[in-house]
Amino acid sequence: MEEMKLDFTKLVKRVDADKTGDFISYDEGKCNGCGLCTMVCSFNLWSVKEGKARLAPRYQELCLECAACWEICPTEAIDFSYPAGGTGVVIEYG
Amino acid sequence: MEKWDVVVVGAGPGGSYAAKTAAELGLKTVFFERGRRPGDKNSSGCGLGQRWWRDFPEIMEALQGLPSVRKVEMVVINLVDENNRLRYRCGTTGSDLCANRWPHGMDGISIYRRDLDPFLADLAVKAGAELRTSTLVSDVIMENGQVKGVRTEKGEPIHAEVVIAADGAMSTMARKSGMRNRWGGGCTLVPQLDFSADPDKMDDVIGNAEWVWFGALYGAYQVNFRDGFHIGAGQWLREDWDERPTDMVKKVLQFPAFQAMCRAIDAKPREYQAHLLPWLKKPPKTYTGGMLLVGDAAGFPCPLEAEGIWHALTSGKIAAETAAWAISRGDTSERALAEYERRWKASPLGKEHEFGPEFVDLWNSTIFDPKLMARQIQLLLEFSMLHPFSVVFDWGDAHIDCFNQHLEHLLDLAPQFADFGRTYLAPLARGIWPKNVKRILLSVKPRIPVLNKLPDNTFLRLVAKLSKSLAPYLDPTVDQEAPLPREVFERSRAGKR
Repeated sequence: MEEMKLDFTKLVKRVDADKTGDFISYDEGKCNGCGLCTMVCSFNLWSVKEGKARLAPRYQELCLECAACWEICPTEAIDFSYPAGGTGVVIEYG
Repeated sequence: MEKWDVVVVGAGPGGSYAAKTAAELGLKTVFFERGRRPGDKNSSGCGLGQRWWRDFPEIMEALQGLPSVRKVEMVVINLVDENNRLRYRCGTTGSDLCANRWPHGMDGISIYRRDLDPFLADLAVKAGAELRTSTLVSDVIMENGQVKGVRTEKGEPIHAEVVIAADGAMSTMARKSGMRNRWGGGCTLVPQLDFSADPDKMDDVIGNAEWVWFGALYGAYQVNFRDGFHIGAGQWLREDWDERPTDMVKKVLQFPAFQAMCRAIDAKPREYQAHLLPWLKKPPKTYTGGMLLVGDAAGFPCPLEAEGIWHALTSGKIAAETAAWAISRGDTSERALAEYERRWKASPLGKEHEFGPEFVDLWNSTIFDPKLMARQIQLLLEFSMLHPFSVVFDWGDAHIDCFNQHLEHLLDLAPQFADFGRTYLAPLARGIWPKNVKRILLSVKPRIPVLNKLPDNTFLRLVAKLSKSLAPYLDPTVDQEAPLPREVFERSRAGKR
């Protein structure tokens, strides 16, 4: 079926994606390179290079704000707050 | 400096209902929403079941007219085998015999959050609470270990006698006050893919029903709205996670029966969402000095099917009532607010969590083990072949032979589930009401030679003497319409009296 070619990133709406501010912070010193953040992210915003996780620089434009990377990180290297009020993902059919 | 009786963080269902209740009790109340309007940031399955008619009848009545509503009068179960073939479809409805539980039949509704959340927030505003949207609350104000208010993202301090944290699974309030950090294994991630569809064709093909897809390897719930539906599936965020959330959803799209349904109702993918959902054996501590947690922030969703919106409203109401009670006594310390936990444990919400460990263990040991799941689907199929319709309509030339073959398959499969039954199903026997155990025993009694001559009470006393596992149910002092107390049941399973 065509769904296999679905681009999930096109199925997300946002407002003022440039005004969210930084809402994910990452402490490289605490990261043990386990890569669990790369598994749980819907849009592949995390990668592991040379034993350390890396967050996509444009994450504010792509992140779904689910916070799974914060919840799964066993060393608490990832912290998650929310985008500034009134900005970011808007869910119309939730 | 701003000072309120109650500050509610979050205008989802729990926050709005807490704000409504607090305002109705005469408390000066403000509630905050980070979205541009309530519902802007929320996704969930969002089916509201019959207990809403019992607890929130006016709301249920009013919701019926909102645009996205589809009634739920049946749940349709689709079993799909490891080759993606649909093998069995059946439906459950409310029983007419349970009129006291289901005065409206199995009459629930599905509704999008963009309809539900603003409606509930509006009730709070009408009751006199002030709503501030597009405002992120990012910190708590602590004094001597007690929460004294909150701070917005702009650093603005808002003081309160009691803060009610309704800020969802990743509760910033719970974290900043030091109550907890990560859930640590008890939280699920729920990806959801929404589809638009033709509402008239949905009426014809889907009807007023929720659908569930149980596959050997993948599955999803399907919540049906007026002009669309979404599929989703939760999975616990644990270190053995080995799959991308989008891939889990895509697997369900490969079921031919799912594709056929999409064609029949002109379904087109419309929106992708993901959210965290706590699915816990037991909610952790839900109060601290000056603050109460409600809804997902408290970990209240149902441990069996992860419904959470009724739980949010129910806990929101109890939290606001407890806040009013504490403020009137002039004591909002941790010790005073422990009253909140006493109250929700004594409510239907507490009853919901009575079998939390058993339910979570059961799920966790079934759906995440593909080999077991494949065999379980086989077992369910063989069971399904034994009911009268299967035997009649199997169109074999020897119906009784056919029946016996299925019976044999079942007898072959059953021993493979012995461990599973002992470990995960037997603990649920604690929930069988003692009066029903007695009825079963008394219905067997006439068929037992010699014993059938005994008076009922003597017979039951004898059974209690002979069987350590039945004895607790036959104790005359035990509540006849309640599960056995956990410690009594566990003692009897260990073979002790």
